[in-house]
Amino acid sequence: MSDRKRSGGMLAGVSGGVAVSMATAATVAVVIVALLAAAPLMLDDYWINILVLGFISSIVVLSLNVLTGYTGLLSFGQAGFVGAGAYTYGVLSVWGVHPLLAAIAGVALALVLGLLLGLPAARLKGHYLAIGTLGFGVLMAQSLNNMVDVTRGPMGLLGIRSFGWSHQVWYWAGLAISLALVALLHWIEKRTFLGVILKSVKYDEISAMSSGIAVFAVKLGAFCASAALAGFAGVLFASYVRFLTPDLFTSADSFRYLMMTVVGGAASAGGGWIAALVLTALPEALRGFGETNLRLLIYGATVLCVLWFLPQGVGGVLETCSARWRRSRGGAAVSTAAANAVATASSSTKHPAPDQQRSETLS
Amino acid sequence: MSRPLLSLAGVTKRFGGVTAVDGVELLGMAGQVHGLIGPNGAGKSTLIGCITGVNRINAGEIWLGDERIDALPVHRRARLGIGRTFQKIRLPAQLTVYEAVASGLAASWFARGGRGWLHAFTSLRAPAIAQPVLAALEAAGIEDIAEVRVASVPYGRRHFVELARTLIAQPKVLFLDEPATGMTADERQRFSRQVRDVAARGRLVVLVEHDLTLVGELCDQVTVIEQGRRIFTGTPGEAQRDAAVIRAYLGTMSFVAPEVPPPAQSPPQPPAPTPGEAAT
Repeated sequence: MSDRKRSGGMLAGVSGGVAVSMATAATVAVVIVALLAAAPLMLDDYWINILVLGFISSIVVLSLNVLTGYTGLLSFGQAGFVGAGAYTYGVLSVWGVHPLLAAIAGVALALVLGLLLGLPAARLKGHYLAIGTLGFGVLMAQSLNNMVDVTRGPMGLLGIRSFGWSHQVWYWAGLAISLALVALLHWIEKRTFLGVILKSVKYDEISAMSSGIAVFAVKLGAFCASAALAGFAGVLFASYVRFLTPDLFTSADSFRYLMMTVVGGAASAGGGWIAALVLTALPEALRGFGETNLRLLIYGATVLCVLWFLPQGVGGVLETCSARWRRSRGGAAVSTAAANAVATASSSTKHPAPDQQRSETLS
Repeated sequence: MSRPLLSLAGVTKRFGGVTAVDGVELLGMAGQVHGLIGPNGAGKSTLIGCITGVNRINAGEIWLGDERIDALPVHRRARLGIGRTFQKIRLPAQLTVYEAVASGLAASWFARGGRGWLHAFTSLRAPAIAQPVLAALEAAGIEDIAEVRVASVPYGRRHFVELARTLIAQPKVLFLDEPATGMTADERQRFSRQVRDVAARGRLVVLVEHDLTLVGELCDQVTVIEQGRRIFTGTPGEAQRDAAVIRAYLGTMSFVAPEVPPPAQSPPQPPAPTPGEAAT
């Protein structure tokens, strides 16, 4: 009885705190989005170009989030899917197909490849899965290089038609699309039944099966979704850059995407987005050090330092900050991280009321 | 007498040259708590693996009601109503207790006639999930740790998380593999109550347990397994008086039995487990 009374009191206090913190969060969010949206008015085309490429990379990183971060399947061949999407779009648009149809075809072909790779790869684990996906990446790069009749191979594919957008429009489109995808994936992972299913498969397959989860089907679905997302990034890349060569989609690129994913924190959509932008822009920003190897040395050292000091990646920092911030604002507002600390101290943590949860979703 | 809910006929499982489960027969009735006991290494957990689908059987038949299930994959059997907990608790450690229990809904939602993937994008806080989850948490007495990560839940209470996760799908047959390990006396009492409740609602509970006191308290029937063979089925009271069972246990009751039990004809040997044998 006294317990219920106290939790009621806590709840009242919390809803007040949440109202304040939500207002603050909304303000912060609006300011950040306004700054990002206004950026192309202040930057020159060169930097806008780099940021657009960063947005496109971030979509590849999100595709790796789905596969590696949520479902626990490592992919060393993600650039293969990007290449499939990009070249399908490129070739079809050169042949005169409408860009929208070409885009749909690009995503569809990547999805089919994801299914074909997933059929064997979803049965593999650990090193074997890594080697299998690596092999897929090499296969794709070689195919693009050698199917000269279709892809023009190392000569490069020219004359890709596009939507005729300016750099600015591309920037806004890239920003909106990538942020929408971040929000979608974040919501799926944190708030939906599907997120729980994916993570159950990631953390313990046997117990997932025993709970009636078709582990193989879930993995296959993750491969398809991830491939489609990566293919979509490829379509955007092709229609933005309008020039393709096979060496844009090699294993080195797969590793670059994977590195961004790890720096972002494998299971964090927001972290991955930030990491993709920063790691795309950083090599360019470091051009002040000249075109020597020093530039790449600094780049590599930066990545190593991030991983050394922040093993959970950018996403881990985001999570810690938001948990700490929420605790200081709302007292008992329950995030999972905060709840752990609270629950180990005392076991009086109550299940959060639905309205409180909803407000968290928005914050 | 009604038809058995779970029936095993001649179930055999070999690992290479070792026959871990050897022609086991078993009939489980709805509303029963059926004990599965036997010395360490007798094949109890392997048998559960055979029924739940982790182990494919080499011979025999397994029926759940009217449905033969021995060729089905694990998740299909779970969807048909086979639930289990594990000897060594298996839970997604990084999920919260709430999420882990919610994941158990998959078994009923993806079952034949369930709405399946329509549920994939259901919010975790939607009533369709929140109501059964909160009810399961409450029944297991773990509603206070709903938002705690499984990894930071004490071991004894994790049994209840696993139990809640399994029970939320309302399985027809529930396998509990040594569930009382690491439980406090209070937790054991609460656990016993919950098991009796489950059986009272017309389910079959199969309990693998070394603690024979608990088995005696809970079980309507026990099946004793020794070296992969069923050597006895009856009430716990009968089991205590059965010569073959006594021989199998040799008075060591709840601990390691000697490596080689004596042949059936010779009189029972006094137990003489050396430390070396006990360690194996």
